[in-house]
Amino acid sequence: MVGRDVILYLKGLTKTFAGHKAVDAIDLEIHEGELFTIVGPSGSGKTTLLRMLAGMEEPTSGDIILRGERINAIPANKRPTCMVFQSLALFPHKEVGANIEFPLKIRGVAPAARKQRALELMGLLRLPESYYGRSVTQISGGERQRVALARALAFDPEILFFDEPLSALDYKLRKTLEKELKDIHRETRKTFVYITHSLEEAMVMSDRIGVMRDGKLVQIGSPQEIYSTPNSKFVSEFIGDVNVMPVTVADNGTLTSPQIPGEFAAPSIADGLRDGFLVVRPEYLRFLSEPGDADNHVPGRLYNEYALGSRIQYHVRVGEMTFVLEKLRHEAFQGKLDQEVLIGWNAADSIVVPDQ
Amino acid sequence: MQTRAVRIRHALIVVWTIAMVIFVYLPSLSITLASLTSSRYFIFPITKWGLDWWHKTLDSIQIHQILETSVIIAAVVTVISIILAFFGALAFARYDWKGRSWFQKVILLPIFFPQSVLGLALLLWFNAIGLQLSWQTAVFAHLVWIVPVVTLVISIQVYSFDPALEEAAFDLGASRLQVMREVTIPVLMPGIFSGGLFAFLLSWGNFPLSLFTTGADTTVPEYLYAKMVAGYTPGVPVLGTISTVGAVVILIGGYLVMLALNRRRRADAG
Amino acid sequence: MSSGTRISAGTWSALPVIIFLLVGFAAPLAAIIGFSFMPPRTFGFGGRPTFENYVTIFDSTTYISLVWSLGLAAATVIILVVICYPVAYGLVRVFGKWSTLITLLFVIPLFVSENVRLYGWLLFFIKNGVLLGSLKSLFGLDLESILFTKGIVLFGMVYVYIPFMLFPMTLGISMVPNETREAALDLGATRWQVFKEVELPLSLPGLMIGSLLTFVLAVGAIAEAKVLGGQQVIPIAHDIEIAFTYSQNWPLGAALSVLLMLIVGVLVLLALRRFDLDRFLGRR
Repeated sequence: MVGRDVILYLKGLTKTFAGHKAVDAIDLEIHEGELFTIVGPSGSGKTTLLRMLAGMEEPTSGDIILRGERINAIPANKRPTCMVFQSLALFPHKEVGANIEFPLKIRGVAPAARKQRALELMGLLRLPESYYGRSVTQISGGERQRVALARALAFDPEILFFDEPLSALDYKLRKTLEKELKDIHRETRKTFVYITHSLEEAMVMSDRIGVMRDGKLVQIGSPQEIYSTPNSKFVSEFIGDVNVMPVTVADNGTLTSPQIPGEFAAPSIADGLRDGFLVVRPEYLRFLSEPGDADNHVPGRLYNEYALGSRIQYHVRVGEMTFVLEKLRHEAFQGKLDQEVLIGWNAADSIVVPDQ
Repeated sequence: MQTRAVRIRHALIVVWTIAMVIFVYLPSLSITLASLTSSRYFIFPITKWGLDWWHKTLDSIQIHQILETSVIIAAVVTVISIILAFFGALAFARYDWKGRSWFQKVILLPIFFPQSVLGLALLLWFNAIGLQLSWQTAVFAHLVWIVPVVTLVISIQVYSFDPALEEAAFDLGASRLQVMREVTIPVLMPGIFSGGLFAFLLSWGNFPLSLFTTGADTTVPEYLYAKMVAGYTPGVPVLGTISTVGAVVILIGGYLVMLALNRRRRADAG
Repeated sequence: MSSGTRISAGTWSALPVIIFLLVGFAAPLAAIIGFSFMPPRTFGFGGRPTFENYVTIFDSTTYISLVWSLGLAAATVIILVVICYPVAYGLVRVFGKWSTLITLLFVIPLFVSENVRLYGWLLFFIKNGVLLGSLKSLFGLDLESILFTKGIVLFGMVYVYIPFMLFPMTLGISMVPNETREAALDLGATRWQVFKEVELPLSLPGLMIGSLLTFVLAVGAIAEAKVLGGQQVIPIAHDIEIAFTYSQNWPLGAALSVLLMLIVGVLVLLALRRFDLDRFLGRR
């Protein structure tokens, strides 16, 4: 049954292009007022999914249910939802104000009321009032971003969709706008559905995240759940630098790997999983002074180190494998390149996941 | 970083281009000079300068008639070709549809076709379906060649048009008609305007298609041709100059109008 | 706006142009093909179909016109490639903000009937005209005019078709990213090697389109021979016109037109078959 707080419900949603399933039988509930992010690599079908939700692409099969009403056949201009495009799609021949007022003009709102609403929204998005008459081609990337969001908010949609709107911006601005977007979400209490290829971006903003691969949602959960308990090698690698090692679960519950000799203590493992991957995040891997300092230990050679701002990353070669470690700057490891080192981790800080 | 060799090469290119521009305009210069003589025959250097033939030509009722025919044909061609080519350009460059790459090539065929043969083919066709030749049939003939050209001109603008603009307007509640009026047409306006300018000027200067399809009506290029073949009269250089200067004035005027429109749009916004 | 299963927006938009070209282009061509099989000197579609007109073409000396037209067109293309390349290169790489103005200067003549411009050359080259008159009065030279020769016909064709070579060529050259040239230079290539290995192959589509366009238009050229050439050269288009006008033999004119159409059509279709117009015009 559709729960009361579910605003958008997808059931077996599928889109086929020339025999290829771009979106493959997706079931999903999106809750009233949440910021839900769909994250996946390019070609995973996330844009197609979003375009179906916004009404720009017709589903091949399955249902899109908005507040209990099936909206599959309703075109985009009749849906109470609105999208912020990757290219932003600001109308280049209209000024900032006219862009924001566009949905109001379409709805037949009187000019004075339109202007008042536009100025309110510009205030909310911290755009100076003097920008009202300025051409959208004469403002900066971040400002254009805010105009696009203001225009979408002027529509007063029940759900706002975002198609990677920050992907074209430089890193620093992107970081600022991610937080700003989350603040706007807090202010407006609207439902946001956001897609991105950056799990890092998803982590910063989202209430919940859905990870997409080959047209399917492979994991849905809070940022914390996705980060600490990925359910597959794919999800764990998607998050960024991570140590992944193929392992076999022995009968006595320990792990062996074809890449590194020895037996390793295992965390709790799902029943029936025999062959999988051991995943250890870089910050849980430590330099050891004694083999007994951690549940598992491996000797290696310090290959290189990289300064990542507040953290330092180390690469340690063990045979053919490279392990990645990260330490906060004030806890930096004092070692020389090519020095023999001992690294290790506790079983509880690792997980074992299947391939898919 | 400009080496000596690069500078010399660039200088040679500049000199060559200037020579080419002079080459391109030499005949127009010759015609203009010939129109400024008072004598019956053109002998250079001109001994008797004067505007006599200009007065005679401009006073001629027949010439007025011919200029009028040319302008009417060009104006009608412009309007119709803009409408057809606007949608043609959307099909050419905007939409993904099954027959698109086929369409892109088919529409080029009339451009890549000898115009004199096209004119004759149309003559034959009009004759076969029993159409009386007049300036209207000439409009039709011009369109066969000009619609593809204008389609290409507008297409170039359409290529730089972000389809998301239409989707965004649609998503923000606009109907298809509103999307067209509020977004598609205004954004593509510069392309539409250049297309219209091309249509007018190409029709204005066309001879091979007019020759076989105007019937009793006569356009400026046709009249000039008839006079050229019949033997020298100083009216030919005068009308030739008018035709050339007319094209230049329309072209420059057109761009000034466009600039003014842009400025007004900016001013309205401010 | 989705590409629905019904008739798509693209088809709808293309429809008016397609219908117009069916009536205004395909039908006249069909008519001319049909007419070429009618008995000589008839003016309707009533007669019994015959190949007589085609036989006449190959029995008479008409093929000489065709050879002249093809030869002159080929020569025109070669000359244009050579004289336009420096200008096209300059428009893309050298002239900077002056490019727009210079382009405009080359566009304007397109809008003046070619008759008028060729007539200008007539006034330039004619005895006592701008050139010979000046030479005579300045240097006392009394030279013969080069009008009414085969050479002047080629000259006229080269002149008339400059824009048709120049603009596609410019588009082609502008498709070569400057970085690629610089990379080649940086990797030690000489100027000539950069041209041969990088610029020429990458700008080839523009060169091809320009050559095709000028060749096709030049094969159908008629005004140059009439205005400047006297009767020294009779191009194929002139033969066609004569058949339709003076000799009142429409079926023969139609057969000649079909021949010309075949040559042009095969060339265009072969050349355009593998051509990506999206990339060329849209620089995608």
